[in-house]
Amino acid sequence: MSKRKVKETHMPVGECISQVQMILRERFCHQRLPEKPVGMESQHKHLLELLRRTAVHGESNSVLIVGPRGSGKTMLLNCVLRELLEVKDVNKNVLPVHLNGLLQTDDRIALKEITRQLNLENVVGDKVFGSFAENLAFLLEALKKGDRSSSRPVLFILDEFDLFAHHKNQTLLYNLLDVSQSAQAPVAVIGLTCRLDVLELLEKRVKSRFSHRQIHLLSSLSFIQYLDNVRSQLSLPQDFPDTNFYDEWNDDQSVVDVLQRHYNSSKDFRSLHLLLMLALSRVSASKPAIKPTDLLEASRVCMVDSKANILHGLSILELCLIIAMKHLNDIYEGEPFNFQMVHNEFKKFLQRKSHSIHNFDKPVVIKAFEHLQQLELIKSMDSSTAKIQKEYQLMKLLLDHSQIMEALQKYPQCPTDVKQWAIVPVLET
Amino acid sequence: MVRYFTRLRMRRIYKWGGRPYIFDRKLKSYGFEYLNMSVEGQEAVTTVTPGQYILIEGNDDEYPFVAKLLKFFGDESHKQKKALVQWFLRLSEVPQNKKLLLGRSPHPQEIFYYLGRACDNEINAESILDTPFPEPGTKDTLYVKLSWDTKAFNVLDPVLMQDTPASTPPKPALPLFPPCASPTATPVSRGPVRRALPTPDPTVMRRAGSVSDTRATMSAGKRSTLEAESIHSASKLSASKILSAKRRGSAADTPGVRKKLQLSIGASECLYLRMKELRNSVCFPCFLIQVTPSTPRHATPSIPSRTVPARQPGNILEEARARLHVSSVPESLPCREQEFQDIYNFVESKVMDGTGGCMYISGVPGTGKTATIHEVIRCLQHASDMDEIPTFRFIEINGMKMTDPHQAYVQILQKLTDQKVTADHAAALLEKRFSNPAPKKETTVLLVDELDLLWTRKQNVMYNLFDWPTRRHARLVVLTIANTMDLPERIMINRVASRLGLTRMSFQPYSFKQLQQIITSRLNKVKAFEEDALQLVSRKVAALSGDARRCLDICRRATEICEHSTSHPSSAGLVRMNHVMEALDEMFSSSYITAIRCASLQEQLFLRAVIAEFRRLGLEEATFQQVFVQHRALSRVEGLQPISVSEGLAVCQRLGACRLLLLEASRLDMLQRVRLNVSQDDVLYALKAVRD
Repeated sequence: MSKRKVKETHMPVGECISQVQMILRERFCHQRLPEKPVGMESQHKHLLELLRRTAVHGESNSVLIVGPRGSGKTMLLNCVLRELLEVKDVNKNVLPVHLNGLLQTDDRIALKEITRQLNLENVVGDKVFGSFAENLAFLLEALKKGDRSSSRPVLFILDEFDLFAHHKNQTLLYNLLDVSQSAQAPVAVIGLTCRLDVLELLEKRVKSRFSHRQIHLLSSLSFIQYLDNVRSQLSLPQDFPDTNFYDEWNDDQSVVDVLQRHYNSSKDFRSLHLLLMLALSRVSASKPAIKPTDLLEASRVCMVDSKANILHGLSILELCLIIAMKHLNDIYEGEPFNFQMVHNEFKKFLQRKSHSIHNFDKPVVIKAFEHLQQLELIKSMDSSTAKIQKEYQLMKLLLDHSQIMEALQKYPQCPTDVKQWAIVPVLET
Repeated sequence: MVRYFTRLRMRRIYKWGGRPYIFDRKLKSYGFEYLNMSVEGQEAVTTVTPGQYILIEGNDDEYPFVAKLLKFFGDESHKQKKALVQWFLRLSEVPQNKKLLLGRSPHPQEIFYYLGRACDNEINAESILDTPFPEPGTKDTLYVKLSWDTKAFNVLDPVLMQDTPASTPPKPALPLFPPCASPTATPVSRGPVRRALPTPDPTVMRRAGSVSDTRATMSAGKRSTLEAESIHSASKLSASKILSAKRRGSAADTPGVRKKLQLSIGASECLYLRMKELRNSVCFPCFLIQVTPSTPRHATPSIPSRTVPARQPGNILEEARARLHVSSVPESLPCREQEFQDIYNFVESKVMDGTGGCMYISGVPGTGKTATIHEVIRCLQHASDMDEIPTFRFIEINGMKMTDPHQAYVQILQKLTDQKVTADHAAALLEKRFSNPAPKKETTVLLVDELDLLWTRKQNVMYNLFDWPTRRHARLVVLTIANTMDLPERIMINRVASRLGLTRMSFQPYSFKQLQQIITSRLNKVKAFEEDALQLVSRKVAALSGDARRCLDICRRATEICEHSTSHPSSAGLVRMNHVMEALDEMFSSSYITAIRCASLQEQLFLRAVIAEFRRLGLEEATFQQVFVQHRALSRVEGLQPISVSEGLAVCQRLGACRLLLLEASRLDMLQRVRLNVSQDDVLYALKAVRD
């Protein structure tokens, strides 16, 4: 683990720490693009080359960037765009249009947005043009008027590309891709998606117009490279105002374990950043370095089971009901149950085994049962809830056995007879 | 503006007048001396007689057709009322590509004597408008100087104007106006009544020539006051509004009134000015003549142009890439000679005969359907420019490029006449256009791409498209394109399919030889590919889809790979086998296996758990809960620390997001069912390779 001890030579510790916090937070919250994307050199080159050709030669292209969530699709694209816009010729020559499938939920909205981003509405004065049809005709007309050598290339960036494929008739995609395949204004259509089967979503004539270029971002980092990355993520940049930081890789076994575990579960950087962010937030003036324990703690926070937390807050009665449900699940092999069954099971326990639990009235038990339903620890199976009496609604338990047992272990002052009951069900005698 | 009530808002009554005389014994037709027209419920009767000039109901309310009556005739029963006419053309009716032949900018009121043969000169007498023909000397006087014989403008033979071929005209012969010697348009006026030659005021002429919106002056006036107002209608401000503005003139300073008026038109600024002027102005018509600026009706925007011109291809590979781009228009279309010839003959014969017809063309995407038709049209246009065939209009609509099937009418009408109207109105106007005869009627060739998108429940759009060509005066050739061969049988109801007819053609997917030929012809001597490499691409694509677009895209990608394989771009040689192989791999290989290999350990473990659970259940579906039990067991075997349920769900969701797994909605939590989106064998293969 990189351990930075910010020794003050020029600056007070507090200021150094706030500097460090700022730099690293920017990094972890994805507010600043990295200097260059890691582990995707070839993809970077491919995309840059493609967009450069669109910008410089006016060649129309279409490309899909496919990769799992958090694999750096947007980061790659933004890096490429940044690099592209640094070129002098290109800078004033391209018109990027950013669309997102989650924002532009249908073609009408998407067209409005494109028109807005291309500043085309100014052309017709402040005339607010009305219908969807006019809008489409307007935009197509605009694109048709352009030609390869004289119009500015337009970069259409479609985030969540798969959602655009669900629009009616895929009109927008057809038209954009058709423009990219005909001698009109040069465009580049760049789609970002995490779905590997995205091409199957496209209609055949839309598919035929797509160039079938796909850039896959699949991280194939080994653990060693992963560690290197963690190190570089945590080290401060060269131009840090105070030169008094050093990083010493700590071969502490526990840290490597934590990271290994994290690596096993997911390779993407977003979850790593989350982990490191938690660790970073524990750095303060009085504790000016990230210690292995911080990372362990952060990992524990990350990995914690959300349901286990809820279980800790339950009353004994509710816990008993859950145990009853667990037994019902065992008996009926996962078939749904209703309140009456749970209540019977609970009563059996009270009569035969219990020494410490009161005999609750039925309304109280119903209340507890409803509370469990509100917490979504149990879920109603019928869609039409209104018709059936509450007591007979079929329910299913949304907890795993292991979760229940774990919760019982950790539950403060759990009566032993309840624990016992959880392990051995009350048998019919 | 004066509108000619071409849509029958009121019923007009037509009655023969005078004594009938036998016109043709065999056909039992009778000639008549004059025709009385009256509007139902009104006293006024308009009488037209042969030799008189008339306006005939047309496509455009503002521009009715102009003609001279030659003769009236009808059948015995007096039910059919026909008239023979001599047509006159407005410039807007002259084909676009011939307008330049005039060699000068036309006078907005100029019309041309029609000498062509292509047009039916027998019309239904009931399409004659009862609006009086513009009188000479008024703003709307029409001038004729030249004749048009579908190929060129000629100086009008004065005899033609003098001569009224239909004998026994009760009216006096037409006045003849000698053509003026001035080289610019000093038009000859003509009118239905004998008048002295009106000498057009040169200033008026100049102004009329310079007014951009000719519509403003084109109205056929009735009375001078109204007419003055009608000039102004282009600015969307109706005459009554001006009058009411004048009436409220004194109150116009109050912001409320002004605001209201500003709302009523677009250019608020100019209205205000105008209102002020209105109050001060003594000379009412004089003020109205001012041309007011307004937003152009059909402002088409364009993408801003670039500051630095696009760079031209530098080396052979770049050159090849530019040529291989799907958008580049090739010099010729190889491999579709037969189809080309068939379509060409079909369209040409229809254009020559002045008839109509439908054709249905099917084929999978990327087989050159649209490209072939465009090529046909290009050739036909060329032929018509060479005067080998009559001129025709080509318009194109695409089902995918409209938001609603009914927009088809709007787009067709807009491309034909540049009008913008609603879908229903457009349908009515087109209906009229294709069912009535008109002087200049040239054949319209309509290409309907992606026909299946025009399907509606009642199928009325398709019905109309295929019904119009069967009309006598329509002269419409409809070429339709769709992907499926049996579309007419599958989605069309009988009356639509029947009208579409049996002229069908299907484009087969390209064979590998054809694909190879296409690439070679596109490259056209640019030596960038090895023979074998080309053959590999074309064989591969032909085996998969026969889509030429795909083939071109792969070749393009191969050139890129070739370029990057060497350090220096200019030193890159030919595109070889291995480059093509790489490109093919990139485009056709499934990414699932790579994705599984690159997944994290827990994700791989989860996939194994899914398969294990499927085997246990003997089903291809399991709930997350069941899989998770397996997952725990497996991680124990592997010696990994077991993960919590939340983490497990997160892993499962990640796999679901990239569609390696198919999941139910996540609100079902642990009970959501899990299915594999890849075959079990693929998963096992991928995972096995990882472990080795």
